Amino acid sequence: MKKYKALNIYLVLVFIILYAPIFYLIYYSFNSGGTMHGYGHFTLKWYKEVVQDTRLITIVLNTLVIALLSSAISTMLGVVGALAIRTVRRAPVKNTLLTLNNVLIVSPDVIIGASFLILYTIIGIKLGFTSVLLSHIAFSVPIVVLMVLPKLQEMSPTLIDAARDLGARRWDVLSKVILPFIKPGIFAGFFMALTYSLDDFAVTFFVTGNGFSTLSVEIYSLARQGISLTINALSALLFLFTVILVVGYYFIVQYYRKPRRQGAGE
Amino acid sequence: MKALVRAFILVFIIAFAFMFLSSRLNATQDFAGGGKTLTIYNWGDYIDPQLIKKFEQQTGIQVIYQTFDSNEAMMTKIEQGGTTFDVAVPSDYTISKMKEEHLLIPLDHSQLPNLKYISPRFMNLSFDKGNKYSVPYFWGTVGIVYNADMLGGKKITSWNDLWDKDLKNQILLVDGAREVMGLSLNSLGYSLNDTNEAHLQQAKAKLNQLTPNVKAIVGDEIKMLLANEEAAVGVVWSGDAAEIMSENNKLNYVIPKEGSNLWFDNMVIPKTAKNVKGAHAFINFMLDPKNAAQNAEYVGYSTPNEKALKLLPKDVSTDKRFYPDKATTDKLEVYDNLGKRMLAHYNELFLEFKMHHK
Repeated sequence: MKKYKALNIYLVLVFIILYAPIFYLIYYSFNSGGTMHGYGHFTLKWYKEVVQDTRLITIVLNTLVIALLSSAISTMLGVVGALAIRTVRRAPVKNTLLTLNNVLIVSPDVIIGASFLILYTIIGIKLGFTSVLLSHIAFSVPIVVLMVLPKLQEMSPTLIDAARDLGARRWDVLSKVILPFIKPGIFAGFFMALTYSLDDFAVTFFVTGNGFSTLSVEIYSLARQGISLTINALSALLFLFTVILVVGYYFIVQYYRKPRRQGAGE
Repeated sequence: MKALVRAFILVFIIAFAFMFLSSRLNATQDFAGGGKTLTIYNWGDYIDPQLIKKFEQQTGIQVIYQTFDSNEAMMTKIEQGGTTFDVAVPSDYTISKMKEEHLLIPLDHSQLPNLKYISPRFMNLSFDKGNKYSVPYFWGTVGIVYNADMLGGKKITSWNDLWDKDLKNQILLVDGAREVMGLSLNSLGYSLNDTNEAHLQQAKAKLNQLTPNVKAIVGDEIKMLLANEEAAVGVVWSGDAAEIMSENNKLNYVIPKEGSNLWFDNMVIPKTAKNVKGAHAFINFMLDPKNAAQNAEYVGYSTPNEKALKLLPKDVSTDKRFYPDKATTDKLEVYDNLGKRMLAHYNELFLEFKMHHK
């Protein structure tokens, strides 16, 4: 019993430490004083500034477009890649492919970003929307593969055999057996890619240009000019947005689970 | 399968909706008014946004305001092309460089009647004789910000005061070769454009003796560090000084009596300009005493506009720290363009000083 209490205290402490900086930031976004020290009085001035700044809003939209498009496209590519890796029978080849995939995940973002920049300059792609989108797709694909593969391996091969026995064509097997089975993996991969793309700084920093910029890069350049509390306000709004996303995701999952359980009960 | 396809179609629809929205936002910002736009490229937070609105109302020209954070970044963007900046605001030494690279369009003075309000002290300067390409926007000095409380009431009046033994580990320097070498040259009574090798070595040797007092050599964060009383003394530009002092009123700014640097930010028309007539109109608009005064009040830097100065509140316009009298300004020098080789030499000496062991 005592041990349980200590554990609880530890848990609460860890969460406080993890969330304190974020709430500190949000707290000062309501400060009329203009700096992160010395609290004036409550104000919504910084939020008003964020909403009025069309440039900032355009950048937020750009960031969302890049995140959504890149994660959707990379999920498609990643699923195909995972399926391909699964069909490889020989263990050494399979392991090599997997390692090559994992190296891309662990290698430093700075190196990936710099190499993309060099590549784009050589083949003459202008820095901007396209370059950022391509890079984000590229670094998201390995993540999706990694999320989808375990689900594929979990799937019993007898399922496919049974489907073929019952006269399913290859396409039917894919669309009616495999894809529905790995659906949770696909969604997990998609959301993983989405968060990676949303908060990526290092790679994006190298490949943005010509007036196109994403939020993380923009916040960095804003912070260099001296911290303004508009950054706090913007961060607070983004935090709220993320919380809404997570809560929304939770409810969607709950919603999809319920009918199935009822179906099983009937 | 169906659910997957539906989900992904939804994602794409949302993405394209956002894309459409963002391009619409861009459009209202950029291209309204049938191509009558003017792109201004300025430092961040360096103009009163009210003035831009006023200019738009008066002329019907749509203003696109973009910002840069260093002269070098701005120059690269203009050199690269692909941009359409109509007015830019570089500092003095950058103007000489841009002139050499033929990046500027000569100004048509007949379109700038308000030029007459600029104080003759700030016209016809070494970096642009006859103001062929540039009009001063704001000006300022390099000086010392100090916290008298932390120094026990001691006052600082000269560069040589920095070498005081009591200031051990108390000084923050701005990270600029010209500024730091300049203060040493000035403290020795030389010009900060000195190219005499013996003088430079002497200045460098004197800087080495300063190292025990130097806490750090920093960039923009110097403002925050001084306002938070992390150090008692800082060598900064007057514009930064005004900002620091508004945050912490225990600090004071002084232009050292040996003399110092006088710098200018200037409005120019880069060769990328698409709306040269509009650019002239904008420069003339900013030179109008009323507008210049309003801008100076917002930004907090010193205005070169004589008539505007009269419109400013008395406590601002008579503040000797930011509007020094003629006796002081006569001792101030503008940075000359020393040429690539000499500049590299300055940088090298500055680097040696930075590496000098305490």
